Amino acid sequence: MNSTQNNIDSGPEALAEMEPYMNDSGATSSHSDVSDMPMIHFDEVSKLFATGKPALENINLSILPGEFVSLVGASGAGKSTLLKLIYAEEIPTSGIVSFNGRDLSKINRKHLPYYRRNIGTVFQDFKLLPQKTAFENVAYALEVFGRTPEEILDEVPQILDIVGLEEKGRSFPKQLSGGEQQRVALARALILQPKMIIADEPTGNLDPVSAGGIIDLLLEINSLGTTVILATHNQTLVDRIGRRVIALDRGRVISDEMVGRYIMPERRRPRIIA
Amino acid sequence: MKTIKLWRTFLEGVENYQRNGWLTFATVSILSLSLFVIGLTALIGFAGSLAVRNLENKISISVNFKPDVSETRILSIRDDLSKFKEISSITYVSKEAALDSFLKNGDPVIADAVKEIGENPLLSYIVIRANDPKDYNLIAEKLQTSTYQGDIEKVNYERNKQKIEGLNDLTTKVRSVGFVFGIVFTLIAVLITFNTIRLTIYSHRQEFEVMRLVGASNLYIRMPLFFEGVFYGLSAATVTIILLSATASVFSGNTGPLLSEILGGKTFYQVYSSFMWIFAPLTVIIGILLGVVSSFIAIRRYLKT
Repeated sequence: MNSTQNNIDSGPEALAEMEPYMNDSGATSSHSDVSDMPMIHFDEVSKLFATGKPALENINLSILPGEFVSLVGASGAGKSTLLKLIYAEEIPTSGIVSFNGRDLSKINRKHLPYYRRNIGTVFQDFKLLPQKTAFENVAYALEVFGRTPEEILDEVPQILDIVGLEEKGRSFPKQLSGGEQQRVALARALILQPKMIIADEPTGNLDPVSAGGIIDLLLEINSLGTTVILATHNQTLVDRIGRRVIALDRGRVISDEMVGRYIMPERRRPRIIA
Repeated sequence: MKTIKLWRTFLEGVENYQRNGWLTFATVSILSLSLFVIGLTALIGFAGSLAVRNLENKISISVNFKPDVSETRILSIRDDLSKFKEISSITYVSKEAALDSFLKNGDPVIADAVKEIGENPLLSYIVIRANDPKDYNLIAEKLQTSTYQGDIEKVNYERNKQKIEGLNDLTTKVRSVGFVFGIVFTLIAVLITFNTIRLTIYSHRQEFEVMRLVGASNLYIRMPLFFEGVFYGLSAATVTIILLSATASVFSGNTGPLLSEILGGKTFYQVYSSFMWIFAPLTVIIGILLGVVSSFIAIRRYLKT
């Protein structure tokens, strides 16, 4: 990428400009008209592990606003690393990862929280704070950005309602089922109205029914205009979604189809004849 | 950091303190124990130096003059001696005053006998106190070699000499032993406290990752720990002050006449009370410092920057 991309300045104010339609409820209209300007762009990106072994090699891909992308591949294929590059937990060894035209490696580490407001994250292990109730876990994401108590009391119940947990606000994580905990995590990811949701194996610890529920929620969120990147190796779910699928194998993109199905790399296909 | 965020981190700190019941208990106990040991060492040192000061004030040299030396002569010797800067005070007691005092306070049988004789067997004397107990030797030597050596019947320095030297010895020992013990215990206390708090933080390490992920800045993650450290320090200081007071009052009940005399007529508890004016605020400050510094160092490794 070159310097025609807009502001390289990485101050917090500039990053705050990247904030999504914060209080703009009319933003829901954008889901169908996917814009041409990529939201995420990988340009010749490689990432080496500390050992020198490549985690990702020569990745080139673009994700447009409003897309629902499933990232598939076996464990160790590089899915998580690719996601970490997007939410700037890692920086590439070579190449450029950009968000709305901004080179992520140029963001001052101190200003990362401002950048991450654009992205909601959900993980296999939920990552909830065990000492806090469902309500407090969601509220925490607002508290750290200095939102007022009124805003918190107003917004948190709404979002808990969306994920279907309006009755469970006072429960602590250990009192909730896996599916419910993941819904709390999703509510927390959504509370700042991010432009993008990154879900890394969100259904890995869930039974098929709960997993289906989470995927339905993600589809619903996507239909409201939020970009969703879902990393999974659950073939049934991916085939059901019927949206763009990017398949990774050993750090490389092996297929990228707009209406894809789960792809298994050649060498891993089971042989009928031994 | 905005006021609302500062207030929130304060509340987070309160919440952590309350919800981590067992760890809070363990941390406060260890911190209290450390502060108690430091306090006790300091208290003993304080009482020791008070005792030494009191004993120092009790030491003096008294010089008895021959019966035929006139009062004018004695007074001129006194004025002469008071020029030396080693000497802090000289009190003159005439033989009449000495007799009066003896008749009032002395053994009544001997007093009657003295009255019977009708003559004053006592001598006039001066009592010399030095600024520093080390100087009594010097003063005694000076008296032996002075021009008025002939007027002196006896200097009762030799009798006190051993007492004085013993005291000098004790003072030095009490101070150096107290100092070494104080430092050793303080070091142990700091290490134990640091380890305990590190353990507390270790048990929460995954939460820090989650907080960062949700967008909390490092400062926002640290501040609750800062306040937690302050609460640990405050609680431990309170416990320590209560423990020390209890210890002092138990000892106070057993203040024997000797100890009381050494402490200048005060009970141990009275000594403790005057000591607490300095030590209580110091305990709070040390407690908070220990808590806060330990938390800050311990969390560093869990916050990538």
